[in-house]
Amino acid sequence: MHPDDNDLDEEIRGHFALSMKERLERGEDPASARLAALKEFGNVTLTRDAMRGVWRHRWLEWAEALGRDLRFAVRALLRAKGLAVTVMVTLALGIGANAAIFSVVRGVLLRPLVNRDEDRLIYIRQSAPAIGAENMTFSVPEVKDFMSRATTVRAFGDFSTVDFTLIGLGGEPRTVKAGVVGGSFFEVMGLRPVLGRLLDPHDDGPDAAGAAVLTYRFWTTSLNGDATVIGRKIRLGARTATVVGVLEPSVPYPAETEIIANVVTSPHHLGATMVTSRTHRMTELFGRLAPAATLEAARAELTAVHAGMMREHPDAYSKTANVQLRVARLRDQIAAPARTILIVLLAAAGVVFVIACSNVANLILARSVRREGELAVRAALGAGTAALRRTLLAESLVLCGGGAILGVLLARPLLVGVASFAGRYSVRALEVTVDGTVLWVGAGLAIAAAVLLAYVPRLPSPHAPAGLGLASGSLRITPGTNRRLRIFATTQVAFSFVLLAGAGMLIATLAAMQTAKTGYGNMRQVIAFDVPPVATGVATADGLTFFREATRRVSQLPGVQDVTVGTAVPWRDAGLFPGGTGFAVEGYKPADGEEDPRARLRVVGSRFFTVLGVPVLAGREFTDDDGPGVEPVSIVSQSVAQRMFANGDALNRHMWWTDPYFGKPVPRRIVGVVADVDDESVVPQTVMTIYMPVRQVKYGGRLFVRAAGDPHALVPAVIRTIRSISADQPIERAATLEDVRAEVLSPERLNAFVFSGFAGIALLIAVVGVAGVLAFSVSARTREFGIRLAVGSEPRRLLARVLGEGTTMAVIGIAAGAAGGYVLARAAAHLVEHVQMPDALPTVAASAVLVIAAVLASLVPAARAARVDVLQALRAE
Amino acid sequence: MPKTPNEHRLELLQGTLDMLILRTLQWGPQHGHGIGQAIRTQSDDLLRVETGSLYPALHRLVKRGWLTAEWGVSEANQRARYYQLTPAGKAQLSRERDRWAQLVDAIGRIMNPAPAGRE
Repeated sequence: MHPDDNDLDEEIRGHFALSMKERLERGEDPASARLAALKEFGNVTLTRDAMRGVWRHRWLEWAEALGRDLRFAVRALLRAKGLAVTVMVTLALGIGANAAIFSVVRGVLLRPLVNRDEDRLIYIRQSAPAIGAENMTFSVPEVKDFMSRATTVRAFGDFSTVDFTLIGLGGEPRTVKAGVVGGSFFEVMGLRPVLGRLLDPHDDGPDAAGAAVLTYRFWTTSLNGDATVIGRKIRLGARTATVVGVLEPSVPYPAETEIIANVVTSPHHLGATMVTSRTHRMTELFGRLAPAATLEAARAELTAVHAGMMREHPDAYSKTANVQLRVARLRDQIAAPARTILIVLLAAAGVVFVIACSNVANLILARSVRREGELAVRAALGAGTAALRRTLLAESLVLCGGGAILGVLLARPLLVGVASFAGRYSVRALEVTVDGTVLWVGAGLAIAAAVLLAYVPRLPSPHAPAGLGLASGSLRITPGTNRRLRIFATTQVAFSFVLLAGAGMLIATLAAMQTAKTGYGNMRQVIAFDVPPVATGVATADGLTFFREATRRVSQLPGVQDVTVGTAVPWRDAGLFPGGTGFAVEGYKPADGEEDPRARLRVVGSRFFTVLGVPVLAGREFTDDDGPGVEPVSIVSQSVAQRMFANGDALNRHMWWTDPYFGKPVPRRIVGVVADVDDESVVPQTVMTIYMPVRQVKYGGRLFVRAAGDPHALVPAVIRTIRSISADQPIERAATLEDVRAEVLSPERLNAFVFSGFAGIALLIAVVGVAGVLAFSVSARTREFGIRLAVGSEPRRLLARVLGEGTTMAVIGIAAGAAGGYVLARAAAHLVEHVQMPDALPTVAASAVLVIAAVLASLVPAARAARVDVLQALRAE
Repeated sequence: MPKTPNEHRLELLQGTLDMLILRTLQWGPQHGHGIGQAIRTQSDDLLRVETGSLYPALHRLVKRGWLTAEWGVSEANQRARYYQLTPAGKAQLSRERDRWAQLVDAIGRIMNPAPAGRE
């Protein structure tokens, strides 16, 4: 039934035979009869295609034709390897970057959590923005109020972090970060064990046996997934616990911990302060929505409950603190910090993709101009518009497909980089792996690019006289094509400028942070150790003896200049007492309704300021004599002296803490004034700070050693010394202040690095683009240049002319980029926080880099224009 | 390819080619060339079917089941495909004929409205 190609041919031949016979019978001569028959028939190929088309499914026929075109495209591109490689590499960069970043965005922002019914899980946070406390956490009485009053939340889970000294899972005694949870926590979170069991209501309360669950990460990385760990007894500081299970891999939030234990393991959690004080806040709160309750309903109810609590206990909620309650879905809460950075990265990758596409569009446009002759011949032979487009589409599909394959291969290493980068903002990024998404995104982008690119070139118009192009088959560049090429190149310059300026801004910020004066004189020589007091945060009398002995012995080590004790390593221990602590001074009375002033509270040992290199401006430092039983003393920073005392005269006056945490106020004589240092912010700010001596507050935990030579060389000796005093004492995280600062700055450094990477790729592509356009334009105008030279134009002027064209594109691009970037930044400021306009310096630097790049890119084509051989150029056509 | 204008020739109305083919085949099996010639002579050379339309149309009608095709030998001593009406094709022809009559009638009423009062 279905005729094959031979049948069709034979039927057409039969028609000709009849037609010829008829004409011959009419007396025409064979030659003219044949010509007339052919003319009457029209386009044989088209007719046969139409006949065949009747029997084919339309799409099938189209696909088959595309297959033919694809084979043709591959053959054609093999003859233009340079172009093919440039296009594929450019596209691969664009596709690879986008696929990698999209995978991370999907993994971090969009993928559901492993928790059962994770969309019913909420996270509740109390914050006091007015005093800079982003997360105040909750106290036990507050949690109890929520539990008893809320109806939209089926159950609450509480979680707080403490540091335990862990002994009994092999290795040396060490500090582990542990979560302490109530009995409902795991049920609320909807998590399962991979081994043993999790904690349940039987483990709750002060009379239960100590029980601990290991997190999956800790179990696999530190214990190599040892299954015999279940049932083992461990020591957690002062208490003991049994390992009852291993938790499934899940996102640790709000803090990554190594073990999660029940309340009974932490003496602090059972103490009166923890249980009864409404202001002793250290608990994170999670909830599971009641059936049929919506997030909005829960938010409304919990906010109302919270408002009621604040009315009932006005003393626990300072007015100026502006305490607020936030209720969010847990998944959104976890994703929030990474959202901005990921969206910015996605935008940057998108820009790179646009640049890559416009560059490829340029190359393809240039190629299609060279192919105009070929297309005209095909059109004359009966190829319709659709068929010509299909030919172009096939070629761009081959190019983009190749680019996509390369891009997906490239995406894997890129993804690893981006994930570890994003891991600083969201732990979920670390679980992101290369998966099918990358492939789909890569394929999607490639097809989008291919279709776009197929519609870039103009087809030979059916109405235009085809004769010229057909006859000469030569290169002919129309003003319209030239303008299009230039627009694409200018677009690339504009987008590159935006990225370069952004990268410049980040680098400038980083440079400002790195060169900022910290106020610490001995950043390089001082090495800090965490020597956490065993088990709890509070040093006992034994602890004091321990630190006195430790400083004595360490100071005798060869190579040690000086030793002191503190409670916080600058920057690393930032956020110890958020918002500062209220205090009062002799002779300064706050006006009615004014809050007490707040200062950072720091506890430091004797000679602390000498060791760290902070100048003492007046009075003295703490000494070993500032101990228990003698007059309470304090040291204030310069800003306290200047703001709280007339003429900055603070010496020998008294101050006291007004925070209820300290109980009855104890006046402390101010014995010294030291320079202001900021041990929290990366860019130093002036913050009022008040110091108290370690031996009077009985609070220590950090050892600072000033070395004569290389501080890192002292580490083994210091550790040996500490262990010789107490074998169970953890000592860890040795780092010089400079190391700590570098560590703190690493997110900024990474930001700058990643952005510079994008900007570098963009710049590279833009340079290729400008150079390509000029090279094409020069080769298309060989004749013009030949004529110019022949009539006496100097080669130098031709060189300057082409260079000028390149520079013009760059300047227009920069202007467009600056304008567009400004608008973009303004628009972005509405969507994400912390959008800054780049300063003049990065902007000017970015422009300079682009102009120089454009001039360099124009040099080669310009030189070629100046070296055109007059005779050959004129003979060429 | 530009077409030579021919004042006397009429353009085939859209959708009428199928009907003309079916009608031509009412007299018996015929090959493509013959069908084209028949339409031409019967219309006194006013209608001329483009070969590029005729053959695809024939194949379309075969595919729909209104015609069957068989190889035979033509007057030129060459193999040719002879087309023949099927019963379904006959039914289709009468349907199209009715539709055509209605169309002519309807258009005629609009172009030559009956003057009022004339009977």
